[in-house]
Amino acid sequence: MKEFEYYKPSTLNEASEILSKYKEEACIFNGGTDLIVRMRDEMTKPKVVVNIKEIEKLHEISYEKEKWISIGACVTLNELSKCKMISEKYKILTDAIHNIGSIQLRNLATMIGNICNASPLADSATPLLVLDAKAVIFGADGVRKVLVKEFIAGVRRTDLKIGEIVVAIEVPIYEKSIVGSFHKISRRKMVDLSTVCGTVAKVNGEIRIALGAVSPTPVRALRTEEYLKGKILEAEIIKGAEEKVVEDISPITDIRASKEYRIDMAKLIVKRGLMHLRDSELKWGEQSEA
Amino acid sequence: MSKVKHKISFVLNYEKTEHYVKPNTTLLNMLREDFDLTGAKEGCGAGECGACTTLFNNKAVNACLVLAIEVDKAEIITIEGLSKGRELDELQESFIDNAALQCGYCTPGMIMSAKALLNRNSKPTENEIKEAISGNLCRCTGYKKIVEAISSVATRNDKKESMNAQKGGDTE
Repeated sequence: MKEFEYYKPSTLNEASEILSKYKEEACIFNGGTDLIVRMRDEMTKPKVVVNIKEIEKLHEISYEKEKWISIGACVTLNELSKCKMISEKYKILTDAIHNIGSIQLRNLATMIGNICNASPLADSATPLLVLDAKAVIFGADGVRKVLVKEFIAGVRRTDLKIGEIVVAIEVPIYEKSIVGSFHKISRRKMVDLSTVCGTVAKVNGEIRIALGAVSPTPVRALRTEEYLKGKILEAEIIKGAEEKVVEDISPITDIRASKEYRIDMAKLIVKRGLMHLRDSELKWGEQSEA
Repeated sequence: MSKVKHKISFVLNYEKTEHYVKPNTTLLNMLREDFDLTGAKEGCGAGECGACTTLFNNKAVNACLVLAIEVDKAEIITIEGLSKGRELDELQESFIDNAALQCGYCTPGMIMSAKALLNRNSKPTENEIKEAISGNLCRCTGYKKIVEAISSVATRNDKKESMNAQKGGDTE
């Protein structure tokens, strides 16, 4: 690992100033689980590392009634999955997080880090996409909010500008509870990267689908969602959605899987996700009749 | 601030420690190179094998994914910190009794993951044990005996607790 200067600011302003001063030569250090490996392999060689973990308010999970829940940048994945408010309201998010790395890794890594890495297969991205979550960004000109969907701009590329820091992810609170499921196709259950991952959920009365590792960024399957609008989830319709999703994705062949396999797995996730939705709606229907 | 060494103060295996580190040193390297605590191993150096599992403020972490400078004001426990002199920790005893090791390379990490589990849940189920060590690779594939070794400590904890509860009942 190359040498670097290390800063541990205790305020956002201070952190932003250091980042602005050193520009491309500076890296934000949060969970560190990705950055340390990249620095070790000298894929990233920052001159300056800015540890933001000393900034107290970045460790908070807060909420505004009926509006949103805000997850601070430094909340670790394990802290997040222990949060009852999150697991009750957004089980798809907790399920996705539980699939990242190992316990040891989740004690360090953060969801905001997962998003800022902008990997096409980021496990926490697909639930955040269907939930219309926003990245809350602090910079010299104040705070701005960007949909996670737009924040992730390309492979390892985000909308973050020099001097800016993602301070939280804001997830809207929906009136109806969210039914849905997270799916991860990987070689092993734990400590593995997704070959394909995805979330299928009913949010605000509409079916939403997001898939990872099938495009340069995690994507919403908007054509499939459109196709499903107003339809009842019968076998034939689910089959149709499986075919439709091929139009929403552009997978490549790489070390983990071939393009063809990824297409098949994306279809499988859509199928399993929709079947899960159908079955949970049946169950709910019965309950409300009883 | 510069590239020179930074002073950190932390508690290492229950002892207050002051040390000077370069920012580009990992916790794992500091433990092994500066303190001769070679129990934690560098298997992959990328958070995939768990051989360097160490307790950081009572939570299991991969020491290869932590910068040494980050442990300022924190508490670190390594495998060396579990025994009291020549008296081994119950988990260490149990690994010996159950022959839960072959080459031994993964053992310190396995025990530290198990320790973190028992610290937060003294009576884990078999599935909880398997999940707790899912970030620890054993290439001798000795998982069965490792799970048994941890289970037997958990079962003992369970018995101890129910005995204590009974005793409590008797005195009332």
